[in-house]
Amino acid sequence: MNEITSEITEFLTAVLRKPVGPDDDYFELGLADSLFALELVTFVEGRFDLTVEVEDLDLESFRTANRITRFVQRKTGAPEFTETQ
Amino acid sequence: MTPQVAENGAFPVAVRSAGWCLPERSVPVSELPELASLGESERRTCLALGVESVRADEGMSSADLGERAAREALDRAGASARDLGALIVVESRAPETLLSSEATRLQHLLGADRAVTFSVGGLGCVSITPALLAARGLMCADRDLGDVLVVHGSKPAAAGRYRHPVTVNGDGGQALLLSRRGPVRLLDIVQETNGAHWDLFHVKYRDRPADQWREECKDPSTYAFSLAMESRGRLSALLSGLMERNGIEQADIRGHLSQNLSMAGFTFTEESLGIEIMPVCRENLQQYGHLGPNDVFHNLYTAIERKELQEGDRAVLINVSPVAAWSVLLVEIGPQEPTT
Repeated sequence: MNEITSEITEFLTAVLRKPVGPDDDYFELGLADSLFALELVTFVEGRFDLTVEVEDLDLESFRTANRITRFVQRKTGAPEFTETQ
Repeated sequence: MTPQVAENGAFPVAVRSAGWCLPERSVPVSELPELASLGESERRTCLALGVESVRADEGMSSADLGERAAREALDRAGASARDLGALIVVESRAPETLLSSEATRLQHLLGADRAVTFSVGGLGCVSITPALLAARGLMCADRDLGDVLVVHGSKPAAAGRYRHPVTVNGDGGQALLLSRRGPVRLLDIVQETNGAHWDLFHVKYRDRPADQWREECKDPSTYAFSLAMESRGRLSALLSGLMERNGIEQADIRGHLSQNLSMAGFTFTEESLGIEIMPVCRENLQQYGHLGPNDVFHNLYTAIERKELQEGDRAVLINVSPVAAWSVLLVEIGPQEPTT
């Protein structure tokens, strides 16, 4: 698993208190509320040293760990990766 | 007294007196009739909001709640409705009849015959802000205008009181008598909106009987993520802008108060903005639930009554609406002297 994805799934699993895979859509599963969203965005900003701007607030970029990974790579210019299953 | 324009260009508007009508009947949330029809997940969410009870009186309309609050505010100031310069009604969530005017109904009931009368709204619980902006505008435009009464009767639009996954609505009326001078000065009023979320929450009513009206969220994920994160950014910018243009810092603010939606909602605001919401907000949420546009001033006056805010203190009132409206108000507590 990509290192970024791995860190994100680890975070998600801890916060949501259940195993979260790279393609699990925790919004679709009804696991997300605004406090979770705040924790998630704060984690992504802090861990990957980036700022989530208003124009970045597309839910599609944050639905799964794999999507967040792509978002982080776009924002930080990190190299592309092969999506993990 | 000749009105003076404040240093930041804002015209000084103050709350001369305030009144509320909170029905005596208290209904525990655990006994709300709609709980039986909710799914397990929704039921669990409702009971975890932190609202223990709401005031409810099915025999009182929004207009009734507003009228009683208005009379109390006028009585407290020893003022007469006949002398009002304007009456601004924050529209109810669901008027009793269409085409008629709740604003002029209240004008008639109160005998505010000479008051410039109209209603404002469209911004959910932030709708108190356009009412204050309108009042300030009228007072700026006409320095001879009498006091302005801002009134709202809060009742849920739908048959049920639970708005999944946000809050539980209670009943309550509020009236603010605005004047050139008074014990609570409105130093600054700021508001922003984003029309992209105009119908994120709605109640469909045209094709169904009233007992089937439901407050529905069109997209819970958008509410939980996009609107929440936009609120973090918007409120943070509004708050820092408010400080800057009034030449003050966070340390100059004695307390922050917000609207009452849920315990998690308070935590979200606190963590988003790096502030503490005054405890009175959580206590009012527990007892009264969400009172729409009335929450922030109800919280403010509860804090003043308990002397948690005193003369010279400044407070910021924070309001967010699911129609994507945000506002921050800067108030200063003056001497709590009789204003008659």
